[in-house]
Amino acid sequence: MLEVKELSVAYGDVRALWDVSLEVEEGSIVALVGANGAGKTTLLKAISGLLRPTNGRILFEDEDLVNLSTKHRVDRGIVMVPEGRRLFQTLTVLENLRLGAYLPKARAVFDDSLERVFTLFPLLKARMNGKAGLMSGGEQQMLAIGRAVMARPRLVMIDEASLGLSPILTRTIFDLIVALNEQGTTVLLVEQNIHMALKICNKAYVMKTGHMVLSGTGEELLANDDVRKAYVGERGSRL
Amino acid sequence: MGSLAQILVNGILLGSMYGIAAIGLSLIFGTMRIIFLAQGTMIVLFAYLTYWSFEKAGIDPYLSLFTVIPLAFVVGLGLFYLLFRKAAALEDKNVSLLLAVGLMYLVDNLILKIWGATPRGINLSYSGAVLVIGEIRISWLRFALLGLALASALVVYLFLKKTRVGTAVRAASEDMEATTLQGINSVWVCAISFAIGIALAGVAGVGMATVYSFDYQFGFIFAIKALVALALGGIGNVFGALAGGLLLGIIENLAAYYIGIAWIEVASYGVFMLVLIFLPQGLFGRRGLVKKV
Repeated sequence: MLEVKELSVAYGDVRALWDVSLEVEEGSIVALVGANGAGKTTLLKAISGLLRPTNGRILFEDEDLVNLSTKHRVDRGIVMVPEGRRLFQTLTVLENLRLGAYLPKARAVFDDSLERVFTLFPLLKARMNGKAGLMSGGEQQMLAIGRAVMARPRLVMIDEASLGLSPILTRTIFDLIVALNEQGTTVLLVEQNIHMALKICNKAYVMKTGHMVLSGTGEELLANDDVRKAYVGERGSRL
Repeated sequence: MGSLAQILVNGILLGSMYGIAAIGLSLIFGTMRIIFLAQGTMIVLFAYLTYWSFEKAGIDPYLSLFTVIPLAFVVGLGLFYLLFRKAAALEDKNVSLLLAVGLMYLVDNLILKIWGATPRGINLSYSGAVLVIGEIRISWLRFALLGLALASALVVYLFLKKTRVGTAVRAASEDMEATTLQGINSVWVCAISFAIGIALAGVAGVGMATVYSFDYQFGFIFAIKALVALALGGIGNVFGALAGGLLLGIIENLAAYYIGIAWIEVASYGVFMLVLIFLPQGLFGRRGLVKKV
């Protein structure tokens, strides 16, 4: 479904990604892990069109996205949930969801999407008319994902969904991501909670200082000594 | 005459002009993060156009609202795409600010070249009409300014709250990148809010033409007054900006009456400084011109 081929991105003179390749199959959950500054967010931003690559190709269903604006990529079904949720804090929950379904295609099925979001996140229905900024961290993360669901994504890219959440809430969010995937949405997941991410994914990639260094199934990477030492922690039990 | 009520009423009527201009500044600041210093000059330009269509074609200023507002909106769109589109995307806001200053002096001098340095004003057949409520006397034309200000605030408020694009404008003033991620063309959103800001300059220009005499240098002072009003009211709230304008008008009239006409400017800039120091988020705003750290 998504194919990133030898992608390079630079911030001015500073190169951030070096010939990075990645493949996401339709219907799967793909995890992208690595230390801070490895280039995971940069890669997501390049896929969503916030950053222009200096080199390489981004193919979505065999169409090269590189010259398309973010708007057109969202319209194709690629939606990003940015790190730190980035909700519109002073807007209501419903307004945030409305903005998620801004483009005509998504707007046409707004009611249906809204019901879907409220089924996934019943909490949001109760908070519908409250300001997004007044909700708890977990609720905000749900809204951030809900806002993306409103766009009717085919591929949703979630950046650090568990950041700052309690273990219990992290589990809830992960369960919801799996539920979303089971409903047919392909997921590309950037996570600092590597153990959990590797457990739920079909395939994972490891990045290090702007390079793609390793890939495999979740089990393979969990069994990999280097990965265990570097990212998961000795007992592999960050939860 | 001379009662406190009369002073307050005069202040509110004077302040309604500042209010309209401040709403425009607030909209432009929200998305572009610059103080659009050319706002006052744009107001003067539209005042001249109103004056000109009255002198040449005898068109009543209030009738010319229907041509000036759409014209100003289109001028706003044009200016945005011509001058500010690229600059607005830059991290460094100084470029946009300098462009605004350049535009201000360019238009000032354009006005000087076309209409000369003599102050202009419109003498309407109904200029002298006065509304009398008890002791208070209000010129109808000035009273109409308050109506214009209230109507402008209401229209902008409804646009921001009730329309899809308006919601996107509010979103973009909060987080441009997150707005883009929703598939929203944020350049267009900036263009729209800028154009509405300039359309409000059109409204204020018509108002100015009916009540004041103005010349080519009037713009900068007016922009600064609108800025003071905005600092008072705070950014992020349409009615706050309007209230800031009304309050500034009242302060100026109180200063003129109790201290002396010469003290008007000292009073308004003094209040400006005090607000920035002690109340940087303004009286009614969510955030001020200066970000609270």
